[in-house]
Parts: sequence; C-alpha cells; structure tokens
Amino acid sequence: MSQDTLLPGQPVPLPRGPVPQLGGGVYTKGGQTRASLVGALRHEGSTMTISRVRPHPPAPNSVVLGSVTRLSPQQAMVSITVVDDVPLPAGEEFTGVIRVQDVRATEKDKVKIGDCFRGGDVVKGLVISLGDARSYYITTARNDLGVIFATSEAGATMEPVSWQEMRCPKTGRVERRKCAKPEGL
Amino acid sequence: MQTAFDRRRINGPEESSPPVFDDDDQNTAVYASWKVGDPRRVRQPQDIRPIFLKAGLTSQANGSAYIETERTKIACAVYGPRQSKNTTYSETGRLNVEVKFAPFSCDVRKAPMRDAEDRSISVLVQQALVSSVRLELLPKSVVDIFITIIECDGMEGCVAAASVAASTALANMGVELYGLVVSCAASSVGKEIWLDPTEEEARLASGSLIFACMPALSTVTNLRQSGRMLPMDAIQGMDMCQERCADIHQIVAQALLASTEGN
Repeated sequence: MSQDTLLPGQPVPLPRGPVPQLGGGVYTKGGQTRASLVGALRHEGSTMTISRVRPHPPAPNSVVLGSVTRLSPQQAMVSITVVDDVPLPAGEEFTGVIRVQDVRATEKDKVKIGDCFRGGDVVKGLVISLGDARSYYITTARNDLGVIFATSEAGATMEPVSWQEMRCPKTGRVERRKCAKPEGL
Repeated sequence: MQTAFDRRRINGPEESSPPVFDDDDQNTAVYASWKVGDPRRVRQPQDIRPIFLKAGLTSQANGSAYIETERTKIACAVYGPRQSKNTTYSETGRLNVEVKFAPFSCDVRKAPMRDAEDRSISVLVQQALVSSVRLELLPKSVVDIFITIIECDGMEGCVAAASVAASTALANMGVELYGLVVSCAASSVGKEIWLDPTEEEARLASGSLIFACMPALSTVTNLRQSGRMLPMDAIQGMDMCQERCADIHQIVAQALLASTEGN
C-alpha cells in the first residue's frame, strides 16, 4: 500500500502509450508530472487522478445543498452546507445567492421570491459562478433543482405536489414553493 | 503598582515572588566554560537534533501535525479552505498563519497576549509555505494555520520546526500542494557553521540563517539571515542546510505515509 501512495511533489510514473489526461491531484511543471496530494494514483478511463474525498469549496457546476437564510425581492441568500455530496464541517459554511432571474427557466421576470422559497427551506442548486466576494451565485433553473425539504406554517414537513406547490399533511394547506423533482420519478 | 487585570483568565495574587530552590547541579549550562574556537559540544557541527514528527494528532482540525526536536515542541493545526471573511474578491486563495507561544515555552515567561515576536514568526512561516500551496485552485477561500509553540529552544530552530510541522499538516489536510516544504536553521559561531542551534548556541553565534526549501522541486522558498555573517559563511550555511533538508524531507514523507496507512 505504501508503495502506491504518492506524496506532493513526487514525480508520477506515466504509463506507456498515449499520455493520459490530468485530473485533480496531479500537475505538470517543467515537463514533469507530479502529484499534489497524498494518495494513490488512479486511472479513470483516460484520466489520471489522485482523489481525496474531503470537503472543498464550491466550484462552477458543483451541486450544492443549502438552507435559505434571508429573502429579498431580488434574491434569496443561502447558507451552503453540502458541496458535491460532501458535507462541510460545522461552522464552515459558504454563502450563496439565488438571484430572481436564476430561480426558474421560464417566465423569469414574473418570479416572486416569496412564492419560491421561504426561510429555513433546504434547497438543491447548481453553482453557476464564483459570484462576488461574499457569495457564490446559485441557480435552481432545472427540474431537479429547487426546494427539497420545507416545513409548513403548522410545523409539519411538507410533500411536493407539483413543481410549484407543496402540501402540508397536517392541515392540508397548499403552499407555493419552487420544488425539485424527486429522484426516481 | 497596577497589575494588568485580565478578565479572561484566572488571575493569581497581585504580589508574588518566585520560590527559592537549592542549587541543583543538573542545571549548569552546557556551554558555561566555552570560548571562541572550541568545538561544538554534544553534537557535530553538521548534525541536527533528532526529529519526531507525527501527522493527524488533532482530530477536530482538518489537518494537524506535532513536531518535537529535543526541547522544541510545536503543535500545528490547519483549517480550511474556508470562505474568506475579507470583503475584497480574490481569484487566488490566501494563507493565514497564526503563531502562539505558550506562556511556559521560553525561559522567561511570555504573556498570553500576541506581540511582535509572534507576528514576525508568522510572517516567516507564511513566506516559507505560500509558494508551495496551489492557491489558484481555491478562489475566495482562506487556509488558516494555527501554530502553538509548547516549548522553544532556539528561535531559529523554532521557526524551522514550525515550517516543517505546518507543511506536514497541510499535506495531511489534503489541500493541493506543489511540494513539501522543509526548513533548517544554521548559525555561524567563530569560524564554523553549526546546524540547528539551541538557545545557548544561538546566543554564542554572531549570525544565523533560516533556510526553507522544497527538495522535490529543488527550489528555495524562504531564506532569512540575521546578525553578522561573512557572505562565504552564509553560502556554506545554505549548502549545509540544503543537504540536511533532504534528510528532513525523508522524515516528513515517512510521517505522512504512516498517517495514511493508519486510516
């Protein structure tokens, strides 16, 4: 096992044949390919990578889970807690923002934030860009993105009825949210 | 006389005097009867103190390392990459180093407040490490390195050991690095160069040198010379440090492999 584990700066033995593409965890400098993480080299298809499943900051096209912290007519602020299926340590959340034009793909100008998100909702989104100094820009404009979990005004966990509505099982009331399509449907 | 009343700590009595001990013979200094031109005591000039290095001791930090070289003991914990609280947007990540001396670490008690010495050591460690971390992969993020000096025997040796511990902790955490940084100190005593000086030896020296490099890439990351040294002595010191750094790199590699095997 220790024979396969590479250390940062250690040259990577390239296989014979076509030069593989470099994934994460390796870099090339001065014509020499070296490792940049402590780990074993893995070949996934034509890509060579050293993977380390650990919490990392969001990058464009990462799927993130977060909870809505603040609402304004122009955007919803989200505290990102899970990035690419890896939960972040407590206290080290990143902040993200869902702008009103990124909530859904159709009728973007007629969006009312209060009908899409409420405070405390758990939302699944996709990072579109690094945004500004304080927050990442997130979008929910896809069928499988949006509110995953929300509690109703009565305090019960709501079930999604359609992409725009969720129903409280206790009172039967229907509340408007931009719901994510549950997996397996 | 008004004593500083520290709200955050349990304060002792306002007036106190140190206890009086009998003279104990074990406490005579090693270099008590040394004069210029004498050889180094206890070690050879080119020998460094044996290093004990272990990664992954602090479970609550993202990465950690503990280093011990005879009477220098340093613990290092790294957290990150976290969202930078800075209001300015930065394309590349930042490395933030904070050094803290325990009050009982040096011969003279150090107050728990941060002073200029802590900051100057933080700057040296940060300079040694910053070119080894792939910060361009961490936009808007900051990596925090916290170094606690539990016991300090020689300030230059302390800075060198802190850099080694911090680099091991970064590799243990899993942030992408160009290479591992190792560091070594040297001092010029009379006409000789002694590596890894202790506190006593540093006091006898006329000048000292702290050398940090990445042996895997054969690049020097930081070099600090203080005091008076002839240029030839400085160059000789750097060459000796570079040879020693290759050995220290082996120790760091073993510590990291041992910590991954344990997982």
